[in-house]
Amino acid sequence: MRTRIPNPRASAVRALTLLAVLALAVTADAVQSGQKSPAVAGARLDGQGQLSLAELKGKVVYLDFWASWCKPCALSLPALDAFRKEFPSKDFAVLAVNVDRDPALAKAFLSRRPVGYPSVFDAKGELPVRFGVETMPTSFLIDRDGVIRRVHRGFRKEDVPELRSAIQELIRSGR
Amino acid sequence: MLRLVALAALCASCAGLMGCSTMEMFQVRPWEREALARRDMAWDPDPLEAQLQSHIHFAKEASLAGSGAGGGGCGCN
Repeated sequence: MRTRIPNPRASAVRALTLLAVLALAVTADAVQSGQKSPAVAGARLDGQGQLSLAELKGKVVYLDFWASWCKPCALSLPALDAFRKEFPSKDFAVLAVNVDRDPALAKAFLSRRPVGYPSVFDAKGELPVRFGVETMPTSFLIDRDGVIRRVHRGFRKEDVPELRSAIQELIRSGR
Repeated sequence: MLRLVALAALCASCAGLMGCSTMEMFQVRPWEREALARRDMAWDPDPLEAQLQSHIHFAKEASLAGSGAGGGGCGCN
C-alpha cells in the first residue's frame, strides 16, 4: 500500500492561504467618502411596511445609525429632524437605521423624542456591518447619485453648523 | 526537519500578526453595546458616590494616599 508523504512546503502554503482568507473574512472595511453607498432596505420600525434607500434616489440623503441606548443619539435625532424641516423634501431626506435588539425600546425612545423621518429596524446588525460602522451614532451624507460624500462619527451639538453647511452645499451643487 | 520547523515558525508568526484582526469576531461591535451602555455596567455607576468614597479612602489610608495621589496621612482633609 502506498502512503502519501505530505509535502511540508505545500502544507505551509495551504496554511498561510487559509490564515489570509480568515483575516480578510473578519475585517470589514468602513465605507469611505466617495464610494457608492451600499443598499439599505428593511422593515420600518413603526411596522408600516418596508423602506429602502433606492426609493430616495434623486435626493440628498442623510443616513443615520442610531440606538435607544446611545447617549449622543438623544442629541442627534432632534437635530436631524430640524434638518428635515429646514430643507425642502424634494431635495433632502433623512433615513435612519435603528440597531436596538428590542423594538419596544426604540419606540419608547421615539415617543419621548418624536421625529418625522422613518427608521429601518435592523436588530441583526446587518446594515452596520455593510457600512462598517465604527462608533454610535454614525451617519452618512449621500448625494443624489447614491455616492457617500461625508461620514460623520459621533454627534455633538457643535457639529450642527458644519453638517448644515455640508447638506446645503450638496443640495446646491445638484449632485 | 529544520525546514519544517522554520515553516511552522513562519506560520505561527503570521497567525500572531493577524491576531488582532481575528479577535474582531469575538469583540463586541459598536452597535452591540446595549448591555455595556447600561448605567449599572459602569465602573462607577454613581460618580458622586465614587468621589466621596475615594475621598474617605484617601483620608483613612494614611501614607497609602488613597487613589494614588501624593501626600495624605494627617487625616485633615
